[in-house]
Formats: sequence, structure tokens, C-alpha cells
Amino acid sequence: MIPEPFEYHVPKTLEEATQLIAQFGEDGKLLAGGHSLVPMMKLRLASPRHLVDIARLDGLRYITEKDGRMEIGALTTHYRIESSNLLKEKCPLLPLTAQEIGDVQVRNKGTLGGSLAHADPAADWPAAAVALGAELKAVSTNGERWIPASEFFVDLMTTSLAPGEIVTAIRFPLLPARSGDAYAKHHHPASGFAVVGVAARLTLDEKGHVKSARVGVTGITASAYRAVEVEKAITGKAPTPKNLQLAASHAADGIEANGDLYASAEFRVHLAAVYTERALAAAAASAKGH
Amino acid sequence: MKIEGSYKIPAAREIVYKQLLDPEALARALPGCEKLAPNPDGTYNAEMRVGIAAVKGTYQGRVEILDQKPPERFRMRVNVRGKGGFLQGEGEIVLSASGDETTVSYSGETQVGGMIAAVGQRMIQAASRQIVGQFFQAFAKQIQERSTH
Repeated sequence: MIPEPFEYHVPKTLEEATQLIAQFGEDGKLLAGGHSLVPMMKLRLASPRHLVDIARLDGLRYITEKDGRMEIGALTTHYRIESSNLLKEKCPLLPLTAQEIGDVQVRNKGTLGGSLAHADPAADWPAAAVALGAELKAVSTNGERWIPASEFFVDLMTTSLAPGEIVTAIRFPLLPARSGDAYAKHHHPASGFAVVGVAARLTLDEKGHVKSARVGVTGITASAYRAVEVEKAITGKAPTPKNLQLAASHAADGIEANGDLYASAEFRVHLAAVYTERALAAAAASAKGH
Repeated sequence: MKIEGSYKIPAAREIVYKQLLDPEALARALPGCEKLAPNPDGTYNAEMRVGIAAVKGTYQGRVEILDQKPPERFRMRVNVRGKGGFLQGEGEIVLSASGDETTVSYSGETQVGGMIAAVGQRMIQAASRQIVGQFFQAFAKQIQERSTH
């Protein structure tokens, strides 16, 4: 199928983009990489009357270290993040996550900001954002603000962005000393989406015990969440296989898991524990070497 | 697909029951409800704009309320269709009093078909939960507003 008719707008500046999106309200939709929105438009599941194409706002494409954090422009593609040597050194969870997304075409066009704002329950970025406690910059005609990831993902495909707000940048904490990152994902064999995806960052103390653990899980329920019970269970402990397995068993505690034709809720809960264990083990191994 | 859940409404059971079956109250409470008109045979014609984020569509069809046992329970049958697909469902709604509040429990079977179901199958469960949750949130808010007047 082809999309329903729409008006196509290409703002030359971010300011113009915020004005257009405020003007069109519910009838307007932003277009960045297009690999989430356009397929929906072709199926006529989404038919915005006005498309505001911001893909050419080059000022929103960057990867910089700023004030002790990595700041990434919202229009930076997954591919650019995947191949960034700076990120591999300073915040490896990001390239580790990016390389697992979709396929080559999606990674070449899809953007970090677009993926986060779209908030697909099976998207990969929300797990990393939630695990690291990222902050998202939202700009509108009313001003700008930074939204913590813990408040950003509200429900299925629903974020706390107010109407008219555009995500322009995301900042992430740097990898501390004696720390390791990992992203473990169960790919859906057809779509490549995360049936479950677990992002982890572990910091060890001088004895090699877990000083701090941050775990973000996607694919299980309506939106990504921090697996606080896993974090609590492994903090202060040695990252032995037994301890990791025990901690990982809490991966879906208190979560209402979704089921679909590929994976039942029970299977997803099981996968959450399996992939959390793998992510923790990989992060611990990486921390020992760091 | 089985859907079930419960929601607490801050009002007495009799009030909640009456409001749940009042087409005017429902029409205001149901997010995106454009029409809820009673038919002579006791069913209702419904027209609602439903969806999540960019995936919204208008659905039309019939809603039937059966086996009413005020103020405790009733059954509901829904049959709506739109461009994105169709939804058929039947379920039971049970109201139980808990102090000054009422716990509304719903449990039913739904069949969703068409493009929405085919392409969105992986999200149907979560989407249903969100939409039902939205309804009860709006409904509870409406009851609260009415009781403070």
C-alpha cells in the first residue's frame, strides 16, 4: 500500500521545526530516519496530514564529550554510534547496543532520538537509556528542558514528551574506572526486534565485588524498565556464575509481561532471566579487563 | 486473546454501576468517543477514535449490555470495525465494594483482526491494556468530578 496523501514540510532550522510541529498539533508528525514511521504510513496505520522532515538539520548530528558526559545529537544514526571509536572507549554500551539494532539499512537511516521518541516496546535504545540514566533534551516553542530516562518512557509507544516537543540531544554518563558494559538481546528471527534486550553496566570495587549495577530491560512489557531487583541482588557480591544467575532470576520481578505469537509472557519472563545473566556476565568480564 | 484486570474507582458501588451503564457518562469518559447512541433494541451504536501515539483510527460498531445484576455485575459484547481492522469481544464486569471505593474487575475474550492485528500482533496485549486503562482513568476522573459538585 501507499500512504494516504500528506503535506511535506522541510524546515531549515530547529526553530522553524518547533513552530511547524506546534502549528499542526495532532495532524503533524516529525520525520527523521523514517524507518519506524514510514512503514506505518504505508500500511495506513498512521496517516499524519503533515510530515515535518527534520532529517536535514545537520546541527543535531554529533557525538561529543561535554561536562563529563557523552552528548549525542538526536539525529545521529545508529550506524554512526556503532562505529564511533570515541564511544567505544568512553561509553561502550552505546555502540554495543547500536550494532544489535535491526539491519544495515535501519542502522544507516534510523536515529537515536527518533527511536527513543517512538518508544517501541521492543526497541533497543530504551534499555540503554534507562540502564545508564540518560537525559533527553526536549525543545519546543515554549522553551527547552532535560528529561531523565526514568521519567521518559510512560507506556506503550508513549513518552512524557509534551505535544510540540522535539528531542534534540541525549546525554549519557561515561564509563567509570573498573567498569564494564554489555547488551544481550534475543532477536526476533523475522523482524529483528528485541523479544528481550538487557543493557548492563557494572562497576567493581578493589576486591572485584560489584560496587554498582545498572540494568535496563526492553521487550518484556509496554516500555523499558530498570531491573532494580537485579541491581540490588548483585550489589556487594562477587560476580560469580552462581551469584549472577541468582540476581538475574529477578529480571522480571513485579513486571506484567506481554505475550504474542512468538513468545508467551512466561517465555519472555524466562528469557529475561537468561539474557540478564548473560549481560551481567559480559559486563563483569569487561569490567575486570578495564 | 484474553484480557483482564481491575481498577479502583473512588466512589460507591451503586454510583459506579449506574455511571458505567449511563451512555452519556460513558460517551464523555471513553477517550475518543464520538458517538454512543442507544438503539430501540437496547444496544448502542458506537463511534470512537481509538489508538496509541500515531496509530489512531475511527472504529464504528455495536455495544451490547447483557445479564445486568445491579450493583454487582453485567456482561458486555462489543463488535466494532474501522480502516485498521476490527475488534470483537465479550466480557464480564464485576464490581466489588472496598470501603468507600469500588474495585471494577473485567475479564473477557477479544478477537482483533485486520491490519492492526497482523502488523501489530506483538503489541496487541500491551495496547489493549493501555486503552482499557485510559478508559478507566477517564471514567474515574469523571466520577470524581461529578461527586465534588
